[in-house]
Amino acid sequence: MIINQFDDAKSIAMLTIKGRFDYSCQQEFRECFGQYSKGTEFVIDLTEVSYIDSSALGMLLLLRDHAGGDGGKVTIQGASDFVSSALKMARFERLFTFH
Amino acid sequence: MKDQKLKILVADDNPSDRMLLETMLGQLGHLVATAVDGQDAVDKFDPNTIQLVCLDIKMPRKDGWEAALEIQNIAQEKMIPIVFLSGVSDPEVLQKCLEVGATDFISKPYNPTLVSAKLNAIARLLVMQNMLSEQRDELSLLNQQMVHDQEVAKLVYERITHSNCLSDPALRTLHHGSHIFNGDVILAAYKPNGGMHVLLGDFTGHGLSAAIGALPLADIFFEWTEKGFVMRQILPEINKRLHNILPPNMFCAAAFIDINAHNRTIAVWNAGLPDLLYFSADEKLPRMIRSDSLPLGILNEHEFEANIELLTYESGDYLVAFTDGVYEARTKENKIQYNSALDPLYAGEVSTQQFEWLEKMLHDEGILKNPHDDISVLGINLSLAQDGSLQSKSANLEKRLDAPADFAFSYELNAESLKNTDPLPYLLQILTTVPELSKRSSEVFMILSEMYSNALEHGILKLDSKLKTTVEGFAEYYSSRESKLQQLTEGWLKIDVKVSAMNQGGCLCLTMSDSGDGYDISVIDFDDFDHERPFNRGLSLIHQMCKSVELSENGSKISVQYCW
Repeated sequence: MIINQFDDAKSIAMLTIKGRFDYSCQQEFRECFGQYSKGTEFVIDLTEVSYIDSSALGMLLLLRDHAGGDGGKVTIQGASDFVSSALKMARFERLFTFH
Repeated sequence: MKDQKLKILVADDNPSDRMLLETMLGQLGHLVATAVDGQDAVDKFDPNTIQLVCLDIKMPRKDGWEAALEIQNIAQEKMIPIVFLSGVSDPEVLQKCLEVGATDFISKPYNPTLVSAKLNAIARLLVMQNMLSEQRDELSLLNQQMVHDQEVAKLVYERITHSNCLSDPALRTLHHGSHIFNGDVILAAYKPNGGMHVLLGDFTGHGLSAAIGALPLADIFFEWTEKGFVMRQILPEINKRLHNILPPNMFCAAAFIDINAHNRTIAVWNAGLPDLLYFSADEKLPRMIRSDSLPLGILNEHEFEANIELLTYESGDYLVAFTDGVYEARTKENKIQYNSALDPLYAGEVSTQQFEWLEKMLHDEGILKNPHDDISVLGINLSLAQDGSLQSKSANLEKRLDAPADFAFSYELNAESLKNTDPLPYLLQILTTVPELSKRSSEVFMILSEMYSNALEHGILKLDSKLKTTVEGFAEYYSSRESKLQQLTEGWLKIDVKVSAMNQGGCLCLTMSDSGDGYDISVIDFDDFDHERPFNRGLSLIHQMCKSVELSENGSKISVQYCW
């Protein structure tokens, strides 16, 4: 499940993902970030994610593209040990800001 | 649907009841066939034309129940509704009708409104039934086609990704897909100058979409390895190609292992796979080779970097790599987490046969039976890592006309080119136009690369090969090679090539000279071929393969003659 909020004051889109973050979220995740214009700043909250697979890593790359690629800003927060080990294995700290 | 016309078989031994129902049904627009008893009904029943059967219960020769059973038997998979006609309303009788598969009852005396309503309901049921079975047939046909297509594609795919040297005794592999197509890929190829390139990759997702990226990957891997390109050149090329063709959410986590049997080193690059485990014969705990780069296909060519770890190996050392299908496991609650069955491996409790241990673990834990992801395991027994180059070529030794060749050229590289180009693949490409040299390309490449690295590393960069005696020094040697090369502002290296090939035999003359100061050539002993020493073996190797080796100008010039 994905919950999205937009912080008007800071103009940051916040996506909170719950449960398994895998292929089954593909559609929902794309629709979620797609409603914000290109170049929006994003915060992805993974506190309640129990599992992440490589297609989720792919979705994060899509989001990064949407946020402006190298020039954009995407922050990932609240990743559990298991989730952050998956992100680290792919060296995602080079592409995203971690909190 | 109201206008659905049905062909109905009515069986009743009572002529007036039979005629009445026939007329009523005819008026509703249906086509009616009649039978005078149960047996007659069975005889007249044709599952291809009759869509509905109405049976009186009590009939001579065969009652309605028996007829119903036989009719269903004839109809087999086709769904033919059966409606019983009865003047009785005894619950037991009606229950028996349901038991033999009746869809409905029509009670006598017939009420036209009720008959019409019931038939409409049955007609709707039939339409739905037909639609479903048509769709089912269509789906199963499509599915058959798709499976067939996938199997053909799989065959092609496997030929492309498996035409390699995975059967080498040093390698053990386990490759287990969760779908027809496997998003994991294991590639291995002998290098023309000896040793081997091995790649273990895991594409995003599973199935066909994951497998498709393996084609360009395998293509570049095999072609570039055969042409003599090195890991540092192959990886950026693969990354560039995948980055250009894959959608942004797809990438390939991979490990690339370059085995150099002649100086007993391996270079390992891990990008996004679980830690590779390196087991030394004399250490209990495995050394972890962590992922230190972004997976292939994410960064563009300017951002891509290959952080490579260099190790020297001893007899008895073993390297294990696997994809995350092994590292993760599904729990009883269907959650996915770290597979704790791996603990003994990480703790160094598995001191030999690590690959076999992993294979057994995957089997015992039931992971192979019910994989949640593609699973691949690669084991490299470094004791068996031979200089495979010589046998590698024998497989494709083709009989070609031995045409005479007689040419010479000179290739001079100055500082900027030395920094940025590796001239060897290009030289090899020209030399292998001579069939006899093509057959011997591994030897030729080895001679060329030894001469080239000697001239570059000692002549121009002035590196001291004594550094290579210790493990730390070894790494230092290669890192200072890198940095000195990047800072290079002057220097040159010249390669003169002359080939004369006649119908019988021929000769390749190579001369390499550099701008360096040379070294003390009096200490050189060509026969000092010591496998246990990780340095200074280049010259002895060349000496073994060439007819003559001549050093001049204080070692800054070397000429060799290679004959066949």
